[in-house]
Parts: sequence; structure tokens; C-alpha cells
Amino acid sequence: MRLFQRCFNRSQIPIKYSEGFNPHPKFSIAHPLSLGIESEGEFMEIDLAEEISIEDFIDKMNYSLPKDIQIVKAKYVDGDESVTKLISYAFYEIKLLISKETEIENIENITREWLKNDEILITRYRKKGKNKILVDENIKPLIGNVVVKGFDDHNFLVINALFKVGEKGNLKPMDFIGAMNRDLKLDIDMDLVYIKRLNLFAEENGKLYSPM
Amino acid sequence: MIDKQKLDKILKKVEKPARYIGMEQNSVQKDLEEMYVKFAFSFPDVYEVGMSHLGMHILYNLINNEDDFACERVFAPWVDMEEEMRDIGLPLFTLESKEEVINFDILGFTLQYEMSYTNILNILDLSNIPLLSKDRDENYPIIIAGGPCAYNPEPLADFIDFFVIGEGEEVVLEVLNLYKEHKANYIKDIFLEDVAKIEGIYVPKFYDVSYNDDGTLKSMKANRKGIKEKIKKRIIKNIDTMFSPEKMIVPYIETVHDRVSMELFRGCTHGCRFCQAGMIYRPIREKSVDRLMELADKLVESTGYENISLSSLSSCDYTNLRILISMLMDKYEDRKVGVSLPSLRLDSFSIDVLKEIEKVRKTGLTFAPEAGSQRLRDVINKGVSEEDLINAVSYAFKEGWSRIKLYFMIGLPTETDEDVLGIKDLAYLVRDLFFNRPKEERLGNFSVSASASCFVPKPFTPFQWVGQNSVDEFMRKIYLVKNSIKDNKVKFNYHDATLSYLEAIFARGDRKLSKLLLKAWEKGCKYDGWSEYFKYDLWIEAMEETDTDGEFYALRDRDTQELFPWDFIDIGVSKKYLLREYKKAMAGETTNDCRLGCTGCGIPDCVMRGESVGN
Repeated sequence: MRLFQRCFNRSQIPIKYSEGFNPHPKFSIAHPLSLGIESEGEFMEIDLAEEISIEDFIDKMNYSLPKDIQIVKAKYVDGDESVTKLISYAFYEIKLLISKETEIENIENITREWLKNDEILITRYRKKGKNKILVDENIKPLIGNVVVKGFDDHNFLVINALFKVGEKGNLKPMDFIGAMNRDLKLDIDMDLVYIKRLNLFAEENGKLYSPM
Repeated sequence: MIDKQKLDKILKKVEKPARYIGMEQNSVQKDLEEMYVKFAFSFPDVYEVGMSHLGMHILYNLINNEDDFACERVFAPWVDMEEEMRDIGLPLFTLESKEEVINFDILGFTLQYEMSYTNILNILDLSNIPLLSKDRDENYPIIIAGGPCAYNPEPLADFIDFFVIGEGEEVVLEVLNLYKEHKANYIKDIFLEDVAKIEGIYVPKFYDVSYNDDGTLKSMKANRKGIKEKIKKRIIKNIDTMFSPEKMIVPYIETVHDRVSMELFRGCTHGCRFCQAGMIYRPIREKSVDRLMELADKLVESTGYENISLSSLSSCDYTNLRILISMLMDKYEDRKVGVSLPSLRLDSFSIDVLKEIEKVRKTGLTFAPEAGSQRLRDVINKGVSEEDLINAVSYAFKEGWSRIKLYFMIGLPTETDEDVLGIKDLAYLVRDLFFNRPKEERLGNFSVSASASCFVPKPFTPFQWVGQNSVDEFMRKIYLVKNSIKDNKVKFNYHDATLSYLEAIFARGDRKLSKLLLKAWEKGCKYDGWSEYFKYDLWIEAMEETDTDGEFYALRDRDTQELFPWDFIDIGVSKKYLLREYKKAMAGETTNDCRLGCTGCGIPDCVMRGESVGN
């Protein structure tokens, strides 16, 4: 957040500020990522005090931003549409180092069989009153498509996966990997999991589309 | 370069991994293979503390502006990261290229406070660099150090190859250029002999020290031909034209100071007798308003920070402060960039200045009376009267501020219990000033806090002859004040006396302390400046095991004839002057601010006077 705030300052984007004694700029990031996850596609909403051209906005921001974080596309939206509420799916590329099993076909098979289950349980801490207790949660409904892509040049297993994200259901990639490690017995090096979020999607009538 | 996969693994396990990744806005990564001189700069504390150090930004940009030189940063890894690094076998690396520190040509430390010394040893160890200078040959980086504590470098003499005494803007480049010349046929000893010729450079190995039977210093003599007996500090004559960074690295995580720091001037004219900075940074030199506006422009533009801090030893003394502030407010108010002053003089002028920069009175105000009674304030030459305090505070309350912080020291020379209780008196006075106002004129929620630190006598001050109070004495006085404060609107905070004791040992220490430092580090002492990690017990053990008498260094009153370990350094201000000030202090006599008339401290060519006056 600090990064963007400074960018708005540096590039003199006319961002709107909140009222009161401690004004802060009005912008938010949709479903922010946990620490340690890479991304190729994120969404942000910004309230501007005055209109500027999209081209101008992108140019100014990209000049100020670190070269690894760039604005790809921008558009104005009407009033109260919140892009955060609209988004319900996240698409990830996950790279794992596994010790058992080197045949891609076998891995595809056991993964497919595993995903046929109605229930895949994980245990999570949930608030109950003032305490946090451990509860079992079924993550199967939160899993969209999972595709085992193959091994990369460094012998990492590459998987693409679509998970639900947001208030109506949220699956963290590491929770999925944890369950996968436990059930498929592939002996995943849990310290060396590389996660990259490729995109975020909204859903309508069973079809996925980009909020852009 | 280090094994990046190992780094990735452990980054996921530590707190605030952004401390170790670099890649910040305005950081500079060069191709190290192409560089003639690779310099690693280290502030020996954690990232957030080191990144707030203005000196780091100055040196970093100064060196990187040269095509042939590269400057990369390395800070002390936090305790959790260190454990992971040692576990997995990852050596210490610089942030920019992730290159092992041991592969750099020169590793430079800034010495900002004595209790960071164990971190220095730890950084060397984590880099697989031998700790003692004599154990390092041409295969290791040259280890150098500068900064305020370099004015008494002796406790570190066995570990550091050479010290840079004084301001770095010119001498650092001179050193790097000399190194560049030596690089092709680099022989450490020959390089050291050559670098010793540069003014301000002190190479400990070229001096022999001997001690009297009572442990005091007997002599310090050059042991090689051509080595100067006295080292003169470096100062920049014209700070308006000197290098000043136009960019600052912008960290990703919150650091201690998330703002643009601008130096208004160097030096100070008040002459407070406890203050080392006021003596070692003389003569006073100011930057022009134009230069400052130019720098502010470039710095705000390159960083996007929302605040500009006008820092100096006593910013309110800047000759053209009102003009500067109004120009800054004009330019930056709409862009929501604020201006802040780190400290305030105790007078209404400061409040007026503050009124301009703080439209909303949200912060508290901090004043530093330093001593609780007028008598003691005169002894330490803190030119502040009770009337000043009353005027300043009343004015502040009238203008809408309601939170006041007062800074004091305990353990000042000639201090009596009555002086100490004066702290409570002043705090109560502030409280009364607020509540004596008619109810409708009391704005905001009132609070006053008095903070007392434990006085540590420092080298190159009039109090360098004075013994520190013992830890027991400090605690007795602290409780005296604490128990006398019964109002819950008046808060009293105090510093750790045992830490101050250790600080006092090293501040006026000699070379014999290297044994203690080494032993303390071996026992696991590090991050001593952090209360959660300071292990007083281990330090006491280390003192016993190395036969070090801490009281000899900290508590002893010095004889006026005694030779000090730091006397070989010429800071401009004469020892004669310091002694004169010490005697005046004992007699309770004050000395005026030298802006009002030269006090003859010994600085030649001082711009305050305009012409040279002999000593």
C-alpha cells in the first residue's frame, strides 16, 4: 500500500483523500496476496478527485513504479461497482519440488483420482467467541480446475490451479498444497513452493471472465 | 553470488523478509565484475534502523555516482534470520547483488553508538571474515569505520584496519581512488601505509600504546616512519557546494524515519557541556535556502515521501528558518507533503515556527531542559531558564497543543537530590500551567511525560574528566523521582542504567577493551541496544573473565593531567578549552552561545567569527 501511495505522490496523480484529521488516499487492492506469492495479474480500485486520461495515468504510474510492478490496463467504472466483490476466482501457477514419482502420467492420474473425492478436508483455526478453535473444512468445493503441466528445467513440478477467492469462499494455495502433500504422498519440499497468481476472475452464469 | 534457492527457503521462515531482498526504488545495482572498487556499507543494526540513517544515503549515492565504484548495503540480520542462515550455511550478503560480503574490496561500518560494537563482530563472523585485523591478509576485504564513535576508536583498534575521522564526503572518495591505484598489485601493508598519508585516516597498527601501572594511558606513539603523531579530523568547508544526495532509497517496509531528511547545517553554537556532537562537528556551517529548496525538490520527486524533516543539531537556530519554512509550505502544502522539526528550542519562536507547519496540532511537543534545577542547567551550560519553559509551554497550550514531553539526564556532575527532584517540579509546573488556564481555554487532552536518561560522559566534551554515577546511584535517583510523582497525568520514564554503564565503559575506553568485546560477543551478546536482547549478566561475566575493571573506565574521575586514548585526534576544539569549560562548570558559570561572541574554542577559520583567532 505504501508503495502505491508513494507512487501517487511522485507522479502527482489526483487521487481523492478521505476527510478528517488524518487524510489518506482512497484506493484498495482486491484480495491482496499473502507474503511470498508472486503475481502477474492484480486489480486495484482508485478514487480520483479529477479525471485524467487513461493513457496519462498509465504512463505516469509506470514511470514511477518499480519495473517489476506495472499497470497493464485501466478503465473508469460507474459508481458503486466494487471490483473486489465481483472477483470470485483466482488462477495460480504452482511449482513444487517432489521426491517421489518422476512420471508425469502417474502424477496426473493420482491427482485426478484425488480430485474426484467429494471431500478433501483441512484443519484451520476459526474464531469461536473469544477463542480460536481448530475446525475441519472441506476445500473440495473451493477447487476449480487443476492441471498438471509437467516438469520445468529445474525439475520443479508445475501445476495450474483455479481456486475460489473472496467472501463466499477462499482457498489459500498453501492449504491446497498441504492437503496434496498429505494425501498424495509425493514428498513435497514444503519450504520450496513457488506460487504465482496469474489472474483473477469474476463469474457469471458458470462462465469466467476478467473484470477488465 | 549466494545460493538463491537457500535464500528463498529461509525468507519464507523469517519475520519481515523485505529486510533482506533489496530492489527498492533508488537502490543501485551495478555489474560488480565491471567495478574497480566494490564497497560494502554496513550500519550494524537491523534494516529499519540502518535505512533511517542519513549518513548511509549520503555515502551510498556519493560512491555510486562514480562510474568505477559500487556501493552495496549490508545490515545486521535479525536474530531469526541469523539462526536460519547459520543453520543452512548461508554467508552474509549485500542487498543489491546478493553478493557475499567477503568478496568485496572494502567493508565500511558506521559507528553511531558504542552498543552496536558486538553487532560489528557478528557481521564479520557471519561473513566468514576473521575478526582481528592481524588475521586478515590480502584475501579479505579491508575493514574500515567512521562516524561519531570513531572519535574514540581505541576499543575497536584490534578489529578495524583503519578509521575515517570526520566528515566523509571528500575523504571516502580519496580512499577509494587510492585503493583503485593499488588494486593491480595490492599488498595490504603497503596500501595501509599509503592511506595513512590521507588527512583524517587513522591506522591503529602504526601506533604503539603503553600504560602506566595504574592503568591509565602512558603514551601513544607512531611505530613507523612518516606516520603522523596527531590525526586531524576532516571537515567540509563549504557544505552548500559539497555533495548532497538528490535521491534516497525508499524501503518497502516501514523504517524508523519514513521521510526525506535534509541537513540544514552542521555544528552547533550552544556549547552544552555534556554534548559531544556540539564539539566534534564545529565549526558551524549552514546550507543556503536556495540549495535546500533545490534538494527538497529533487528528494521529494525521487521518493514520493510525504514528509520532509529539517534535521540538524538545533534546527531552530538556522539563520533563515522562517523563510525556508514559508517557502517549503508554499511549495508542498497542496501536495500534502508535510514539514517537521525533530527538536524544538525552548522559546516562543519555535512555537511560532511550529504553528506554521502544523495546521492540525496533532503531535506532542518535546523540549529538553536536561536538568531539573537552574543551578544544574548552568553547570551543564544548557542556556534555558524556568521562565523560558513557562513562556514556551504556556504559548503552546494557548495555541492548542496539549501533550508535552520533557527530556532530562540523571547523573550530571555536581548533581544533588534537590536537582533530581527538580525534574518532578518541572513536570508539575507544566501540569499546573495547563490546568490553571480557565476551563474553556484548555484545549485537547493533557499529558506530560518526563524522560530521564543516565548521563554518560563522552570524549571531547568538558565532562570527559567526570566519573559516571554508579548503577546503584542511578537507580536510587530514579526511584527518588518516581516515588515523588503521584499525579497520574504525569508520566515518568527512565532508561536502563546498566546499559548506560556499558556505554560509558566503551565511550572512554582504550585498546585493552578489545578482549572484553570479543569475549562478550563469544558469549552471545548482540543487539545490545535492544532491551529484549541486552544481556547484562553476560557482560559482567565477560568482564570478570577478561579481568576488565568496568569502574575504571566508567566511574573514575580523571586527573586533569591524564593522557586520554583519544587525545591523538585533533578536532579543532582544544583540550585547554574543554578543561576551561569543565572548571567553569564546577563553578556553576555559564558560557554564551558563540553566535553572540567568540568563546575561543580553538577552531581556526570559523565562519561565525569571520576571521581566525589564535588559541
